[in-house]
Amino acid sequence: MLVKVLSAAHCGLDTIGIVVEINMAARGLPVFDIVGLPSKAVAESKERVRTAILNSDIEFPQRRIIVNLAPADLPKEGSCYDLPIAVGVVSMVMNFEVPKDSLFFGELSLEGTVRHTKGTLLAALYAREEGIKNIFVPQDSANEAAVVDGISVFGVKNLNQLLAHILGQVLIAPAQYKDNKPALNHDAEFDMSEIAGQTQAKRAIEIAAAGGHNCLMVGSPGAGKTMLARALAGILPMLTERESLEVTKIYSVAGRIAAGGSLVKLRPFRSPHHTISQAGITGGGSIPQPGEISLAHRGVLFLDEFNEFPRSVVEALRQPMEDGTLTISRSREQVSYPSRFMLVASANPCPCGYLRHPSRACVCSAREVEKYRKRISGPILDRIDLHVDVPVVDVEELARNAEMKKLQESSFAIRERVIRARRLQDTRFADDTICANAEMKNRHIGKYCRLSPQAKQILLRSSSRFALSARSYFKVIKVARTIADLVSEKEISCEHIAEALRYRPKLKEEL
Amino acid sequence: MCHAIRIIYSMTKIIEINDKRYPKLLKRIPDAPKRLYYKGEWGKEIFTHCLAVVGSRRMTRYGKDCTQAIVTAAAQAGLTIVSGFMYGIDATAHQAAVDAGGKTIAAMPCGIDVIHPDYQDKLYQAILDTGGLIVSEYPADTPPFRAHFPRRNCIVAGLSQATLVVEAALKSGSLITARLTREYKRELFAVPGPVNNVTSQGTLKLIREGAQMALSHQEILGFYGIEGQAIRRKQQEAISPLEKKIIVALTFGPMEIDELILRVKVTIDQLSSTLSLMELNGFIREEGGKYSLNMEGLGHVG
Repeated sequence: MLVKVLSAAHCGLDTIGIVVEINMAARGLPVFDIVGLPSKAVAESKERVRTAILNSDIEFPQRRIIVNLAPADLPKEGSCYDLPIAVGVVSMVMNFEVPKDSLFFGELSLEGTVRHTKGTLLAALYAREEGIKNIFVPQDSANEAAVVDGISVFGVKNLNQLLAHILGQVLIAPAQYKDNKPALNHDAEFDMSEIAGQTQAKRAIEIAAAGGHNCLMVGSPGAGKTMLARALAGILPMLTERESLEVTKIYSVAGRIAAGGSLVKLRPFRSPHHTISQAGITGGGSIPQPGEISLAHRGVLFLDEFNEFPRSVVEALRQPMEDGTLTISRSREQVSYPSRFMLVASANPCPCGYLRHPSRACVCSAREVEKYRKRISGPILDRIDLHVDVPVVDVEELARNAEMKKLQESSFAIRERVIRARRLQDTRFADDTICANAEMKNRHIGKYCRLSPQAKQILLRSSSRFALSARSYFKVIKVARTIADLVSEKEISCEHIAEALRYRPKLKEEL
Repeated sequence: MCHAIRIIYSMTKIIEINDKRYPKLLKRIPDAPKRLYYKGEWGKEIFTHCLAVVGSRRMTRYGKDCTQAIVTAAAQAGLTIVSGFMYGIDATAHQAAVDAGGKTIAAMPCGIDVIHPDYQDKLYQAILDTGGLIVSEYPADTPPFRAHFPRRNCIVAGLSQATLVVEAALKSGSLITARLTREYKRELFAVPGPVNNVTSQGTLKLIREGAQMALSHQEILGFYGIEGQAIRRKQQEAISPLEKKIIVALTFGPMEIDELILRVKVTIDQLSSTLSLMELNGFIREEGGKYSLNMEGLGHVG
């Protein structure tokens, strides 16, 4: 007797249909085996399935049962095949037909309940693409799958409930998508208004958020670099619908959507420690998992103590920063993960950290400082649009200053401006492949950045006076474009260029 | 010495002590070098008015400003600036002299083909390009040894009618140069500094012991009997009221953007773009988030 049940496997963010074939032989010694390149987790599935069936008060047949996961040459990984296998076996025991046009996806626990399983969203997307009408998933994962419209998503609590549904006794209602109350940006660790002073750095952060620009902050320990970066999370606009789906897919595959979780609405903010390995940042492993740069997709990758990161890790950022996607090749497979993130880095001005500190003496020689700065990779610096110094300020004095308080805007007010600027960019790049000013290539700059005559003149003068490289020259224009967007102006004026010049790379000018 | 060195081979040029062209002032010191190796164009007039400018390697912002201000005026007035090519005050003095279009002599603690410290190779070339000299009493490819430094100081002090110490700690090479200056009966100037700063302790001690206080280029030019040219004033461009405000605020000393914004009371975007334009015009400069006035800017204080 042979039964076929549909399921799905993931290869990076691609989904491949899997046909789970279950055969119960009429003759032969009792055995229960899985073939079709199962990994350890899949091979152990037979023990879970057997126990779950028994614990659901269903008889497990003492027959020769072979399960094949077709296509047989694709390595199978994960625990999502428990449910289809169990359904197939039980259908033979209880003599019912496995529902047509249905996909089963989920992990079983020993007591017969169906557990939250990673990758459910992708399975649901695959079902819609293939025209499969019903999908049975764990109840805890049903909400993330219910985002996909046009199919019926059934959240299954346990095997018995599923049986009752299939036998038509008690039907499971298709899951309706519910937006969880998004943990709003307002809950970001710091509000911009809490940071005393640092007006320039705050403005830089605002511009970075508005145009998706990469940003480097240089300053002594305690100047507030980390606080600024964390406050950045609070002024980012929410993900657009398209972006939200992209990000949720990555998080679903990585198993980072909580049980009952909905779409990811907030822009991710990732801040890995500098002891991170190369595989940790780019993703990898024998079954490639998304790394930090993919988890930061459409959000922020914050690298605190940038000079302390191993060179191999920093250099690995280059290609994904350029292409917005990263391909991991392994001998068995090759997967791509999107990685369009905004890099925010912070660094000390010198090895001891106190160069130009108002009250502490720096103990580094000029040579040590130079060597320290050279540790930041040149090609990466070239890809950073905004460079800003974060000097140590007398926080107590500023906090007392009533006028300074008036200047300290709340994250909410800043976010309103950022959202407006982003909207302008959405319309500007509607027909293009890019979606933020920072992503503009030279041809886009020619097309979208009209400079006023004075602005052009200022730019030319400054490029010789400040020895701007060709790359920096274009970076200034890109930043000026964002500054103009913040005030909703079409043409880039001389003031916009001048302000953008404040954030040019200065590391090499000094000393 | 762990510093890397760079060697440039070239035709060695030598002046012996009995040569007519050997600098007279240097010849007078008790242990004058028997021969000098040099690079550049040897001319008599370069030795006429020499001012040694020495100081700490660990230069502060204050030290840098003082060195630049005094050296710029002195070099423009025609003095040759002599120093030891070390990083810190030395290198700043050489650079300021080069930038001001004056001549400068670098006395090396190593052979003249060795650039030490190696990353100052651009300065090395600039000194030669502007008609300055690189001199040493050691053969051309001698590496720098610790023992060479005091001997190098003899040349720096010996070549000059006066020595100016800008910043120095209590135990430092600059104080050795100062001692030599006194031994050679030359004039000694020192720039006073904050009393709570390590790099001011040496200069303050010198002043207490009788060194002339150098408060500006005036004292020094007065000693040489040269009328200091009035600081060249560029034709004053019209500046906006905001620029004027910023300049007035910055006369209180270097300050961060936060302090500045409180003083001039405009929005950050306005202030940032104005600061860039002022920087472009050379009125101000920014270092590590702190803004300070340039000479050009000072001209507008009114």
